[in-house]
Amino acid sequence: MTTHRHTQDASDQPAGSDKLTGLLAKLDEAIRLLAESRDFAKPGKLPRVLDTARRVLLQEGGAAAIELRSRELEEAGIFLGSDWETPQHLVPSLTTHALQSADANTVVIEALSELRLLAVAKGDYLHPLVSPEQSHHYLTQTMALNLRLLFSAPTEAERESQGRLAQIPRNLFHHLAERIGYEHIVDKLIEEIWRILEQRPIQVEPIKQMVTQIALCQANPDIDLGGSGQGADRLVSSLFGPTRACREDPGVDVYRERLSSMDTAALQGEATGFARAMHDTGLVSPYHPVLLRHLLDYSDHLLSEALGLSSTGRDCMLCYRELVHALIRGAVYPATAQAAYGLALTLERGILYQPPVAPAMWRQLGLGLSEWSQARLNLAYGEEISPRARLLEGVLCMLGLPLGVGQGNNPTCQSARALSMWAYNDPDYLLQMVAWAARDDDIIMHFEGMPLSSMASVSGVAQSLPMDLDPVSLIVVPHLDRIYAEMGRRCIGREGDPHRWVNPEFHGWWSGRGFRINVDVATGQLYELDDFLRHFYASYHPYYNGNQPLIHPQPAGIAVTDNTARFIGWHAITILRVSLDPTEVMRVYFFNPNNDSGQDWGDGVRVSTAGNGERFGEASLPFEQFASRLYIFHYDPLERGELAKITQEELDRVIGYIHRSWGADRIPPTDLQADEGPGSAP
Amino acid sequence: MKKDPNKGYIALLGWSLNAIEAAENFDRRYVVVAPDWAEEYCQKHDIPYVSWNFERLNDRSMEIAETLKEMGVDVAIPMFEETVEWAGAINSLLLDNPRLYGQSLLLRDKALMKRRAQLGGIRVGIFEEAHDKGDVIRFLKRVNQTLLKLDGDPNDPIHLKAFDKAGCLGHRVIRTPDEVDTIPDEEFPVLMESHLDGWEFAVEAWIHNGKIAFLNISEYVTLGYSVFVPASPELESYRPQITAQIEKLIKAFDIEFGLIHPEYFVTSDGEMYFGEVAYRPPGFKVFELLERVYGFNAYQASMLVFDPKTSADEVKAFFPKEIEDADGYAGCFGVYPRRRVVSKLEIPEEVEDDPYFESHELTPPIEETVTKRTAFGTHWGLIYFKGDEAARMKELLKHMEELDFYV
Repeated sequence: MTTHRHTQDASDQPAGSDKLTGLLAKLDEAIRLLAESRDFAKPGKLPRVLDTARRVLLQEGGAAAIELRSRELEEAGIFLGSDWETPQHLVPSLTTHALQSADANTVVIEALSELRLLAVAKGDYLHPLVSPEQSHHYLTQTMALNLRLLFSAPTEAERESQGRLAQIPRNLFHHLAERIGYEHIVDKLIEEIWRILEQRPIQVEPIKQMVTQIALCQANPDIDLGGSGQGADRLVSSLFGPTRACREDPGVDVYRERLSSMDTAALQGEATGFARAMHDTGLVSPYHPVLLRHLLDYSDHLLSEALGLSSTGRDCMLCYRELVHALIRGAVYPATAQAAYGLALTLERGILYQPPVAPAMWRQLGLGLSEWSQARLNLAYGEEISPRARLLEGVLCMLGLPLGVGQGNNPTCQSARALSMWAYNDPDYLLQMVAWAARDDDIIMHFEGMPLSSMASVSGVAQSLPMDLDPVSLIVVPHLDRIYAEMGRRCIGREGDPHRWVNPEFHGWWSGRGFRINVDVATGQLYELDDFLRHFYASYHPYYNGNQPLIHPQPAGIAVTDNTARFIGWHAITILRVSLDPTEVMRVYFFNPNNDSGQDWGDGVRVSTAGNGERFGEASLPFEQFASRLYIFHYDPLERGELAKITQEELDRVIGYIHRSWGADRIPPTDLQADEGPGSAP
Repeated sequence: MKKDPNKGYIALLGWSLNAIEAAENFDRRYVVVAPDWAEEYCQKHDIPYVSWNFERLNDRSMEIAETLKEMGVDVAIPMFEETVEWAGAINSLLLDNPRLYGQSLLLRDKALMKRRAQLGGIRVGIFEEAHDKGDVIRFLKRVNQTLLKLDGDPNDPIHLKAFDKAGCLGHRVIRTPDEVDTIPDEEFPVLMESHLDGWEFAVEAWIHNGKIAFLNISEYVTLGYSVFVPASPELESYRPQITAQIEKLIKAFDIEFGLIHPEYFVTSDGEMYFGEVAYRPPGFKVFELLERVYGFNAYQASMLVFDPKTSADEVKAFFPKEIEDADGYAGCFGVYPRRRVVSKLEIPEEVEDDPYFESHELTPPIEETVTKRTAFGTHWGLIYFKGDEAARMKELLKHMEELDFYV
């Protein structure tokens, strides 16, 4: 094999590099034409540069050749008038999407920008807008986020949409990794994985893939990781060998055999090993289900140990012993290992003690899935395991991790929020929804007394059926999305924002019927900002509402801003609780259905996901900062705190945040006048 | 570039970004005459601009000529077919030569143009004007009778062209009386021509003081699809005859200066037939191709020969030597989708990997269903090639017709 490759290389090399030389001559010519042309004529010269650069990037050594030319390219005006013109504002997480685009120009310009930053990071190109440190930081983050592109072949989806283009990001990242060094990427990546795992998402498949990549990287003698990658041990072992008997990753069949010859003490060791790994990381090894199934016929005590249950969880398990056994038999397989974690946390929450939940779980166990549901599950997850077991895994995970729901790459934050809220607050209602959707392909909800059928509703917010979701969302979200959109359609013609009526009807009776919004729907201008904020404080802030902790999760609307505090869009979240954090700062803890809540909203507003008293899956901000991004909230009209007591300084701080971010161009003329005369403040 | 006040001041009639760029980089003062939608853009980019909506010539037409005259403009250059008679009218005032307007009308009407050529002793095919479908059927029959065809023999086709449109716009090929029904009534009147079997080519000739300053022959591989410059050695072997034809044309149309772009057929016995002539830059980006091989900017060449203040020496110094100074062959191919339904643009790998392939200006499809081509239609974008051998270029361009770029 090696010799074969050698001969091939030897014969290919001259031809390949000849081709590159030819292409580079063409590229230089195209760059020259772009550089020499006037600004108004540049758009006409761009396609040739981009197309030639694309062909160069497809060649071996192409990325290096482009890196050398990155200064010329930028000075010729390749980034003029685009987002890439200001590299200091570029966001690493957007690269993933750009590099997987089916549009060749998007992929190429992203690659050119990356290579330009590489030249800056290496000190070869002194850039007026970004420093080498900034560039280095940006590139390591980008590589960590796109590690898949570095180590794996194109997926079927990429091949379908990108064709040959899919090779470009790979060539790019190999070059970046060689120049920057693998060790930088791996450490960054490990940090990133831990940060996401602290939020305990239900969908861990991408994380498992990244951990696998690290493991492969460590095992590959050609890759020098230097001193890096130490923090990966826990991650890698929790997936591939969390206990003594599977340390060397022997395969589940060998492991099953080993179990049959173990005594209680040895099994005890295995049980605690798995439980610790699972609760440390939120990741479950495929070996773990093998042990759990083995213990079903052995000992409930060890079963409880293997699930890492506290006294609450253990009590619950023993109370509902048969159900728990049935759930393990029906849902916990090596291919659905995460079900074990979902089950453990469901037991810990004690929700089985709510009278309808246990019978609803029995219904779930025996639920016949419609053909449509089976087909969707098979399509999204493959046919390795039955669709019913897959859905059951999803149900357990959603009940155990209500704040781990994510909307995927879809505009369905409302539906994701509703699922999370039900799992958190009304689990048997969630189970009812799952049963209707999975068995009957239809969900009926009522809007102001009128039944709305998801089957009869025409279309939802999402243009196409989402696929990148957890099993429950995969089945239920298409229905919820259509019903949500239908409720919106029923509100057409009403004055004001439709969420006033839709939110309580969609989410549940506990959503306050009182509704406030600080944006005038007709003009888009800020509206009664002072009153809005005073009212929010009076309803939610314990210092102003009689120290009443929030009882039910409440839907709320957020104006999301980017890391330079520019407005991006409106977004649905859930307010979960408001309380003092470990440093005595009043914080709002909330659920963001966006897949990663740790976001930088600019102007010093950084959403925290750990380290400030957050529970798994919660995001948090100091009360003032949260209030500054809020634009819609609900309240109980009968419970109103004291508006008067909030000081003007406190409000002014919040308003300052608003005016510096999404509210900057929404200040109505009257407000401006009030600003101009500080003496005349009310 | 720094402008030389001793050289001419030029008005460009019609919006052409490439021409504007060439003018920016040339030592003549210039002004763009274009519709008002261009105003904002010109202001933003500091492009000298006069607003004018080119509709049909009317009573107000003198206004623009007088405006330009007051500004001190020396000559107007048409960028498109639609501005040719405007340039004629304006130049007859600027250059104080009323004949220029009449000349431009001749160059705008394909029927008049052919008659004039015929009078000048130039060979043309059989042609006639048609005012309705009946005329077309009669012409088709008569042409085929002349060719001694019997009933049932396949007809020789005839060609229908709009009088006053550029290139292939409105160009139809008719073989049977049934096909006549597909012509919409609003396309009449049209010019009908008999079909000439032969080698079709075009010429770009820059004329200064009534003499040819530079003569390029553009070789069509397939009409409406592909062209390359300079022509292959086989076609270039006709250069003396072609030059003689162009000289006849210059005389027949009494052309003193400017760029002409005629089309000819050369039949198997070496006879040249005149097709038509345009007094404006050619389509299919032949200017760009010329720049690729000769290195001179063809728009600047036009400004040079139009400018009445240009000296013969400057013209001589500007142009390279035909054929000898070309560093290869440059060609382009116009892509039409071949399928009825397309979803994306996909350049075939064999094209991309071809050493002759340079670049393309294709864009992803906007609509999935491809409108059926009735006339020759407009291509979806061009691909450019450059290489050392004419034969290989020709073969390559021909082969492109069998490939799918939109799938």
